[in-house]
Amino acid sequence: MAMLELTNLCKSFGDLRAVDDLSLTIETGEVFGLLGPNGAGKTTTIHMATGLLVPDSGTVVLNMQGSPADPEVRANIGVAPQALSLYEELTGQENLDFFGSLQGLSGKGLAQRVEASLEFVSLADRRKDLVKSYSGGMKRRLNIAVALIHEPRIVLLDEPTVGVDPQSRNAIFDNILELKAHGVTVVYTTHYMEEAEKLCDRVAIMDNGKILALDSLPGLINAHGGQSVVILEGPDGEKRIETDHPLDEIVKRKDQSDIASFRVERPDLERVFLNLTGRQLRD
Amino acid sequence: MNKIWILAKKDLRLLIRDKTGAFFTFGFPIMYALFFGMIFKNMGGGGPTTMEIIVVDQDQTQASQAFVHKLNESDSTRIVEKNLEEAVELVQKGKKPAYVLIREGYGEAAQNIFGGNPPAFEIGVDPSKRVQSMILEGVLMQHAADNFSRAFSDKDTMSKQIARSRERVTQSEDLNATERVIFSTFFAALDSFMQNAPSGNTTDGEMGGGFGSMTPAVITTKEITQQKTDTGNTFNITFPQSLVWGLMGCAATFGISLVVERVRGTLVRLRMSPISYAQILAGKGLACFICLIAVNGIMLVFGMLVFDLSPNNYPLLVLAILCSSVCFVGIMMLLSVLGKTEASAGGIGWAVLIVMAMLGGGMIPYMFLPDWIKTIASVSPVKWTVIAMEGAIFRGFTLGDMMLPCGVLLGIGVVCFALGARVFRWMES
Ligand SMILES: Nc1ncnc2c1ncn2[C@@H]1O[C@H](COP(=O)(O)OP(=O)(O)O)[C@@H](O)[C@H]1O
Ligand SMILES: [Mg+2]
Repeated sequence: MAMLELTNLCKSFGDLRAVDDLSLTIETGEVFGLLGPNGAGKTTTIHMATGLLVPDSGTVVLNMQGSPADPEVRANIGVAPQALSLYEELTGQENLDFFGSLQGLSGKGLAQRVEASLEFVSLADRRKDLVKSYSGGMKRRLNIAVALIHEPRIVLLDEPTVGVDPQSRNAIFDNILELKAHGVTVVYTTHYMEEAEKLCDRVAIMDNGKILALDSLPGLINAHGGQSVVILEGPDGEKRIETDHPLDEIVKRKDQSDIASFRVERPDLERVFLNLTGRQLRD
Repeated sequence: MNKIWILAKKDLRLLIRDKTGAFFTFGFPIMYALFFGMIFKNMGGGGPTTMEIIVVDQDQTQASQAFVHKLNESDSTRIVEKNLEEAVELVQKGKKPAYVLIREGYGEAAQNIFGGNPPAFEIGVDPSKRVQSMILEGVLMQHAADNFSRAFSDKDTMSKQIARSRERVTQSEDLNATERVIFSTFFAALDSFMQNAPSGNTTDGEMGGGFGSMTPAVITTKEITQQKTDTGNTFNITFPQSLVWGLMGCAATFGISLVVERVRGTLVRLRMSPISYAQILAGKGLACFICLIAVNGIMLVFGMLVFDLSPNNYPLLVLAILCSSVCFVGIMMLLSVLGKTEASAGGIGWAVLIVMAMLGGGMIPYMFLPDWIKTIASVSPVKWTVIAMEGAIFRGFTLGDMMLPCGVLLGIGVVCFALGARVFRWMES
């Protein structure tokens, strides 16, 4: 069942086509990765999917209910915007209280959800501190907690790990896997291919406002990753052999004495992106 | 409505939480209001420029008509003739700074220079425009002296009169330093004018001493306000204009806070929440409105406790407060679209507010402004707020009298809010 359906979305800023005829269907319960370099149009896509931006053309249908421009439809979504959107002069708990109330929660229900959300992102002990005293990683985690306060069916996380320490980053990964275990649909944008590889059921590779490829990780690698590379190290330096059967290549050379060591490079999303665009994902 | 209240509550909490913001909204306006309110109020007139005054000629003799004619020719005054009742009302409502009443018998007195009574005038002035009244006194004296000196060419008498006035200014206890400077400057200018004035007969100068006790005219000044008002309390008079600064501070603070929501990204989250755009803006408006009422209330209590402020009509004061608050909510909305960053919004916002204050007569005396600016000024909320407040505090307005200023305030509020909200949305997309 489709949780979010984007059809032929276009959005321009002046002469710049930020999103160019983009179509996507996100299924209920999957973790969907939107992978692309900075400026690819990921945030613009998220903003259209949440009703914040009106597309120049194309449609967005959320949870089979209609456009997120309708506040009631929008209540199904939780969003952690790329630009932190928290009140720095309020405490973590007050932020959750406020945004929870806006989602229609109140009284005991609200208190329980605030509690659970704080626990979820491990901020319970800092709940009474002003957000401005939080570290970058803590703010990112609270930003996610606010997105989850009303137990949305679909969560859109726009680059949730930018500027985050490794510890918080791992905590966020765990959070996403836990959400997935609870059947929550997650849309995850990133320009880090390792994150997409690690977390996502399906990945769309985006560049210049267009989706270049969309598949599961093995599917993408099979189609666009090219061959594995066996790298042999000897006195003359490195020798690279491209092959579909790396093990055979190694076994063939098992008696050669000039090989000090070897390793195998499997094609990854970085290679997929390189093959699709001719550029590195990160320059 | 519930959501709007949730939004407003958040803003008020943020305001209190943010010590600087709270200070700039409450503390600073009170200080600012007290300080500038008094200074600016007292500058409500300050130099010899054209002043519109009403003449009530009850004498209707040739002499009185000639006097009116001369007054009209003078650069410093422009004359409208009215009957006494109308004149009192116009001054009472603050529409004209003063009237001059020429009582019956003026014509006769004007001829009796040696014996009998000198010609008498009565000036009715708006107590909030004391400087104008002083100027008017000076002008009348000058004209009367003109007549007088036709016989004696006695500039010295005039000079003495001026010196006396100056002395009065220096000794006067209810004048503050600023006022003193203004008056002294004015009288010094008048004095030097007199000294340099062409005169047919200067040799009579030494005779001046002999006429020192003589006055070219007797001028009685009457303050025109509602009778039971204690006009001696200058805070009654400075209060409305002071309050305007508090209201402007509040509008600026919330206008900027809307820009801050946009710049810091929280507006994005609000817009992704299941609330409409209208609710977001209404929440901000409600918070601003509550804050404006609070500023009004605090200033009022402060004025009553510290300065014995004594408004003479509380229901109308409440009406004035409500209407001006609505108006400034609209202005807040308009201010929020003037800048893209916090700093630019703050800077541009205050610049606009100060211009509005100037146009409304809050800084540069209204009467100094060219006519075309006066026309523009009629849309300055500052002007109408002051009129409504003054009306309720000491002008003795009736509900009917309040309709105009309150209507204009509500109108400005609604138009500004609608316009601001529209541009705000447009800037988002
Ligand atoms: N409000 C805007 N006005 C003008 N250009 C914009 C705006 N938002 C995004 N862009 C441009 O659109 C392109 C896509 O931006 P964005 O969606 O933020 O990319 P990503 O999130 O993938 O980094 C970029 O070139 C960006 O500069
Ligand atoms: Mg982005």
